[in-house]
Amino acid sequence: MPVRPRTGLTVTALAGVLALASACGTTSENSGQGKQTGPSQAACKGAGGSFTIGMSQANLSEPYRQQMNDDIARAAKGVPQFTVKFADAQQDNSKQVADVENFLTQKIDLLIISPNEAKPLTAVVKKAYDKGIPVLVLDRKVEGEAYTQWIGADNVEIGKQAGKYLAEKVLPQGGKIAEIRGLAGSTPAKERQDGFAQGIQGHNIDIVSTVDGDWLREKGQQQADAVFKAHPEIQAVYSQNDPMAEGAYLAAKAAGIDQRLKFVGIDGLPIPSGGIKAVEEGRLSATFVYPTAGREAVGSAKQLLIDCKQLPKTQLLQTSLVTKENAAEAYAKGNS
Amino acid sequence: MSVSVPTAPLVAMTGISKTYGGTLACDDVDLTVRAGEVHALLGENGAGKSTLMRVLSGDVTDHHGTVAIEGRPTRFGSPHDAQRAGIAMIPQELDLVPGLSIAANIFLGRELRTRAGIIDVRRMNRETGDLLARTGITLDPKRHVGELRTGEQQLVAIAKALALDAKVLIMDEPTSALSPAEVTRMFAVITELRAAGAGIVYISHRMEEISRIADRATVLRNGRVAAAFATADLTVAQVTEALVGRPVQALFRTEHGSTGRELLRLTDFALRPRRTRPGRREPDGVSLSVRAGEIVGLGGLLGSGRTELLETLFGAGTPGRRHGELRVRDRVVRPRRPRQAMRLGMALVPEDRRISGLALSHSIRANTVLSIVDRIAVGGYVPRKRETGAVRRVVDELKIKIGGLGDAANTLSGGNQQKIVLGRALLTEPSLLLLDEPTRGVDVGAKAEIYQLLREAAGRGIGILLASSEPAELVGLCDRVVVLHDGRSVRELDTRDAGEAELLAAAMGEGRTAAAVGGES
Amino acid sequence: MSEQQRTETRPEPAEFLPGRRASVVDTLFRFQSLFGLVLVFAAGIVFSPVRDGELIFLSSDNLFNIVRATAEIGIIAVGMTFVILIGGIDLSVGAVLGLAAVGSAVLMVNNGLGVLPTVLIVLLAGLVFGLLQGIASAVWGIQAFIVTLAGLQIARGLARIWSGGQGVPIPYGDGPGKAPVAFSLLGERTFNGLVPIPAIIFVIVAALAIVFLRTSAFARHLYAIGGNEKAARLSGIPVVRVKVLVFGLCGLLAALAGIIHAGQLNQGSPNDGNTYELDAIAAVVVGGTALQGGRGSVVGTVAGALMLGALNYILGLNNIDSNVQLLIKGLVIVAAAGLQRLRPTP
Repeated sequence: MPVRPRTGLTVTALAGVLALASACGTTSENSGQGKQTGPSQAACKGAGGSFTIGMSQANLSEPYRQQMNDDIARAAKGVPQFTVKFADAQQDNSKQVADVENFLTQKIDLLIISPNEAKPLTAVVKKAYDKGIPVLVLDRKVEGEAYTQWIGADNVEIGKQAGKYLAEKVLPQGGKIAEIRGLAGSTPAKERQDGFAQGIQGHNIDIVSTVDGDWLREKGQQQADAVFKAHPEIQAVYSQNDPMAEGAYLAAKAAGIDQRLKFVGIDGLPIPSGGIKAVEEGRLSATFVYPTAGREAVGSAKQLLIDCKQLPKTQLLQTSLVTKENAAEAYAKGNS
Repeated sequence: MSVSVPTAPLVAMTGISKTYGGTLACDDVDLTVRAGEVHALLGENGAGKSTLMRVLSGDVTDHHGTVAIEGRPTRFGSPHDAQRAGIAMIPQELDLVPGLSIAANIFLGRELRTRAGIIDVRRMNRETGDLLARTGITLDPKRHVGELRTGEQQLVAIAKALALDAKVLIMDEPTSALSPAEVTRMFAVITELRAAGAGIVYISHRMEEISRIADRATVLRNGRVAAAFATADLTVAQVTEALVGRPVQALFRTEHGSTGRELLRLTDFALRPRRTRPGRREPDGVSLSVRAGEIVGLGGLLGSGRTELLETLFGAGTPGRRHGELRVRDRVVRPRRPRQAMRLGMALVPEDRRISGLALSHSIRANTVLSIVDRIAVGGYVPRKRETGAVRRVVDELKIKIGGLGDAANTLSGGNQQKIVLGRALLTEPSLLLLDEPTRGVDVGAKAEIYQLLREAAGRGIGILLASSEPAELVGLCDRVVVLHDGRSVRELDTRDAGEAELLAAAMGEGRTAAAVGGES
Repeated sequence: MSEQQRTETRPEPAEFLPGRRASVVDTLFRFQSLFGLVLVFAAGIVFSPVRDGELIFLSSDNLFNIVRATAEIGIIAVGMTFVILIGGIDLSVGAVLGLAAVGSAVLMVNNGLGVLPTVLIVLLAGLVFGLLQGIASAVWGIQAFIVTLAGLQIARGLARIWSGGQGVPIPYGDGPGKAPVAFSLLGERTFNGLVPIPAIIFVIVAALAIVFLRTSAFARHLYAIGGNEKAARLSGIPVVRVKVLVFGLCGLLAALAGIIHAGQLNQGSPNDGNTYELDAIAAVVVGGTALQGGRGSVVGTVAGALMLGALNYILGLNNIDSNVQLLIKGLVIVAAAGLQRLRPTP
């Protein structure tokens, strides 16, 4: 016979649990007072070992991050000792924390993480690191020192090179341009903007309009529509990523001014919808490759686990310029 | 015009059986319907009428026994099959779409199209107008069905069935929401159909209608055929006895008891709504009074504003300004919410228990104590014992037949559902009970019991104001009847010396000038 | 078993099968809302990877991880259950969570408030936000879907403004610009680092809600409104008041989840809780609560939330491709919701 649960009892029991909870000490996990251990060389088992690597991705719906995963998978194929597990946090910090916890439950040998945001992921990365698991952090950083290596590129530097290229090669006589920024408030948007400003310094380049395109093609198109109406005198567009540049190109085409405008983007993904193809097909004048660090991460993992080498705390990756001349080559290289 | 009578009957159902779970809903039932006849199907709720008709209309398909249409054995796979075979049903729960216009409802699923393939709204509206005229009402075909009142919706459903040109028409209590005049008009439609050779299965609880319209009748009891006869041969009393399986005393025994102090007094009461809602007839000059221990009837045609008056009194009507005077126990009041009205000692048993009375999927327990849960609660907590006690008391006193207190309300028959709503109202210990069509869709047995309960309540000193579209009910049960016409009280009749005929005449608006505004002032 | 006993032991008014003998099947179906959880759990065990002879899925580590990860959605879903029971919906909960997370961070870090005042202010903000939505919906008669869709935008906007458009990190310690260390308890575990604090809060909220829904007069009103609003009004139930309070409660619980969110992630970001409303609705529906209102329970919702949470971990543990994960999750939600319809018809 079904019995109605003794609700009163439940409440009492809960109260007990609470009292106990407050009586017992809590362990520190994220208040930053834990012991600083970190993985030792014991993680290395040489060529004879086999290793499970967990890759926690922030958001696979961004092509750039999909490419990062693809690069990791492709590179790991070349290392028979490696098995890589992937998790996608879908742009949710909480989900990414859970993903990493799940990896820890599975007792992975090495963690690669491309954090959604720095602060919220710091604690769980530290937890892994304190358990003796080497952690490679890609692209975005985490706070503190509780990781093995950070691999990524410098957005300020890339922005600067884009600025230089635009000032020296596209509009050597100077001119008026528009800038389409990424998501307002995001770190890469600010860095690419600052870098660009440095790059065009001393040249006669006038940014007549700066708009936010939220990294999205359709948003870039919308914003560019308005910009071209307001400033028909514009000669070039600097877009902080390729999709927004493509959006701006579409807007220009609709306005019938695509032939006299130049577009410069960033990211240069070697995929059919990516910036390299857009350059190869003449829609964009140039793009700057923002390396995914996927291949380099597998390389670092191999050095650490198989070759038993120490890793430097930071591995900074360089960008490369893609123009019509080297586009096909860059595309092939990105897919090798 | 000569109708060639086919040798085989239009419908011949033989040996129909159908079980639900362990219950036999239909047990070896035979039924024939001939062309040009009206065959009444009688029986208390749960006797198996609906199941039998669901078999005929293709809604129930896993039955035993055979159905032959014009001599050809047929097995319907779906209601659609039955419709193609010329069988149309007007269910009690009308299958109309409230958000569509009358015309769109009538042509639902077989919309008329112009040659360009576009829906021909104009032609549909025109034809709908003709159909409605045949049923005897004048409504704009473009109006939304949801705005119509229950009775009007019923007539639309009949018009919809007419549009199908069905050979066999099943009508399940078609008059339960109609005014006497509308019933007369509908009967004219039936006569017309019958002359054209259609067969009609007519389900009703109203004995007087059966003898008026039906040729033959079949009485079901507990899933079996209890009697089958030509209606001309039998009296109402005999039919009733066949129905319930035992002799019943006359339904009505009005005892004009002594009455106490005045509980409710309306003087030229009117409501000017802030925003008029289509299809509503707000009170527009009502004068009446109800004393303790008295049952006062509220009569009038469909659309005369009975429901609106009760709702307004109970604070549940359209918001707006009130004119005239509303006094409860000599105090001028203006209840704006049901809660306020209840604090004044009122309780309402609303018109349609399924729409505004019960949460059908909820338990009998929850439905019964709904109005008093916060009253029996201690610090917000509802003690199970007190709750069960209250429900048990209602179930016992009102003789409600239930399985368990936890059963859903929709497992009950209409009569028992109605008793739950009544019981809930009585639990609040009202001094003034407002009832809106308290016996609609209720079988004869339960009807008698409800009348008895109301008389007992009046005997305890409760004042009752009862709106009904059944003249017999008003005359038989009430001490006085106030007749409404266009939201105005036009006559007040003492049932000791006035009968149904006077009531009807008053309701139609005759003698309106003579009576001025009731007999009060 | 006698009829009397049977009726005496029934829980919520709407959860039972009408008028049938209590067979094994019927008894089983009384726990229908738990079916999905049981099945997913069984799947978790069957497909669990094994390490050192131990089923990883059943390790206490993993189980507590599941409860911790479910806590925020679960708490929101409890509030959502109340709203859905009255036939409403609240799309703003995810945004209110974000607003509360931002509020927690800003009040402590930028305004230097202590933990208690911060928590109280944030809870009050959530409550008021919910009440306002309730007023718009119940008093002005705007559909809850639209009101709370607007509420979602407004809460996100407020969160962006309050935070300056960016996540506000919460550093712990003394002095200006730091939050009291006590707040970081929300991200920690007790009982030798085993039981996460958010899980405990979730369990308490759920237990209170279950008891409240089963025994209070208010709950009866709430069920009645969902079952038949007109009947409830004519029965003298203060429909408007109940509705407004229910939306207020939902906002309050969303704010509580937001505080926990901030404590767990050491940050309040205006984007926090994005699409959480959909997860919460899924948990409620999968737990057997009818979207049209009047029927359902918090027990079911908790089971639904845990089920979806467990599913995430199972898919993760088994290293299923993340794109395929989405597919499986979608199918499981449909199947679990379908399972609620298996009830034998009377």
